[in-house]
Amino acid sequence: MSSAARSRAGVPVAVTGIGVVSPIGNDLDSFDEALFAGRSAVRAHALDLPGIDVPALPVAAADFDAAGVVAPSRVPLDRGTAMALAAADAAAADAGLVTGSFDAERLGIFWGSGMAGAASFEMTCRSVYAERRRMRPTSVVTAMPNAPVAEIALRFGARGAAIAYACACASSAVAIGEAMRAIRAGWIDVAIAGGSESMLTPGVLASWQAMRVLAPIAGFASDAGAVAACCRPFAADRNGFALGEAAAAFVLESPAHAAARGAPVEAMLAGYATNCDGMHITQPDAAGQARAMQAALADAGLAASDIGYLNAHGTATTAGDAVEAESIARVFGSHGVPVSSTKAIHGHLLGAGGAVELLAALRALAAGSVPVNANTREANSAFGLDLVCGETRTVAGLRHAMSSSFAFGGTNAVLVASRA
Amino acid sequence: MNPSTFDAIAAVLTEQFHLEAGSIRPDVALDQLGLDSLALMEFVFAVEDRLGIRIPEDRLDPRQAGVTLEQLALLLDEASGAKASGDVVSS
Repeated sequence: MSSAARSRAGVPVAVTGIGVVSPIGNDLDSFDEALFAGRSAVRAHALDLPGIDVPALPVAAADFDAAGVVAPSRVPLDRGTAMALAAADAAAADAGLVTGSFDAERLGIFWGSGMAGAASFEMTCRSVYAERRRMRPTSVVTAMPNAPVAEIALRFGARGAAIAYACACASSAVAIGEAMRAIRAGWIDVAIAGGSESMLTPGVLASWQAMRVLAPIAGFASDAGAVAACCRPFAADRNGFALGEAAAAFVLESPAHAAARGAPVEAMLAGYATNCDGMHITQPDAAGQARAMQAALADAGLAASDIGYLNAHGTATTAGDAVEAESIARVFGSHGVPVSSTKAIHGHLLGAGGAVELLAALRALAAGSVPVNANTREANSAFGLDLVCGETRTVAGLRHAMSSSFAFGGTNAVLVASRA
Repeated sequence: MNPSTFDAIAAVLTEQFHLEAGSIRPDVALDQLGLDSLALMEFVFAVEDRLGIRIPEDRLDPRQAGVTLEQLALLLDEASGAKASGDVVSS
């Protein structure tokens, strides 16, 4: 990296708190255990709806009791919003972010979700059309896409910007990146940023099945081991993904603010970029992805060779993985960086994916190990990828990691993180 | 007041609105529960759904000051009796 390029880089932002609710664990110890063992949470989910020929779909659900979450608004919570609150609570506790330790007007909430509230709205509509029951008075505020942002802001009394981002599978990566920009620009000192998604309801599952992107498991739905291994990112015989649900939250703050309140820094957010392919509503574009990865590297002041781990978008679809392999090769060269997609074990988390996969990258940095790309014996040889197959790989000197999110609609978002 | 009606009210308040059981007494007014007007409407809907009955809108505005949980229970009992005699459409 040239000195001119380094001068264009932004200052890093500190990560001082982490919270997660996910199919592979609701705390960092259990998350790490499944992540580095490559243990999949994908299970068969029975679905009986008109026009759906398959009796079961692959799903990765979180072991989470939404009824136990107290809403600061006192209105009913969408399950995804309850997950968001639980993750934000855990991140704030981890960061020691308590009232009095920050200026409320300089606390922002930046949250991503692809279709926040969709599950609640589906169930509400079902009660009207199928059960002939009335709409509830809280239907709007439960289902509105900014409900997670609003509830988190209420919980912490945030008076700075509170913004919901909806750009499909890039939503939470964008939310985290935009929070980073707000801190860098001096608009706020500290942010709770992340994303959530929970819509494993019949209508949403059927909608995804109708796109033919879910891994087909009908032929072996009773074989739990085979179902758990159904998503094979970057394999020659890849066949789609499982839908998952999750939330992940980070407390981000300026290094000066973290130092002033004595908060331990867990990692640094070093770079971010987002752009759009402007090409197609669903088909990815290698050029757009490569531009986003290169821009994130420039923002971090790093060269491609500095990156020791890439948590790829890796949806395991035929078209998606092929295009992504091409963009990775453009940026890193053939076999230029250790790669894995953790969607194999936690499913496609949609709007929460960017946040959970950034967390996977941070845990890789903390452990000095790259999580295994589970379920895939070897990468499609045509891809030229250094795919981490078989087992987790220890990487000496692992210092910087990248997480990519490439969304329907063409939005690309890339985050770069560094060891503290 | 039918005790089972009040039990249903208390169950909704503790299970769905996370209120302390000790704070739920017949003489407590709805506007003293710490719920805003929207949440109060949701609360009454939830109780009605739990009991499978509906209070006519002209008999109760949950946002009106001073309405107690006992008065709510009596209105529900009244609606239940009316439903049994076929006067009110259930929810």
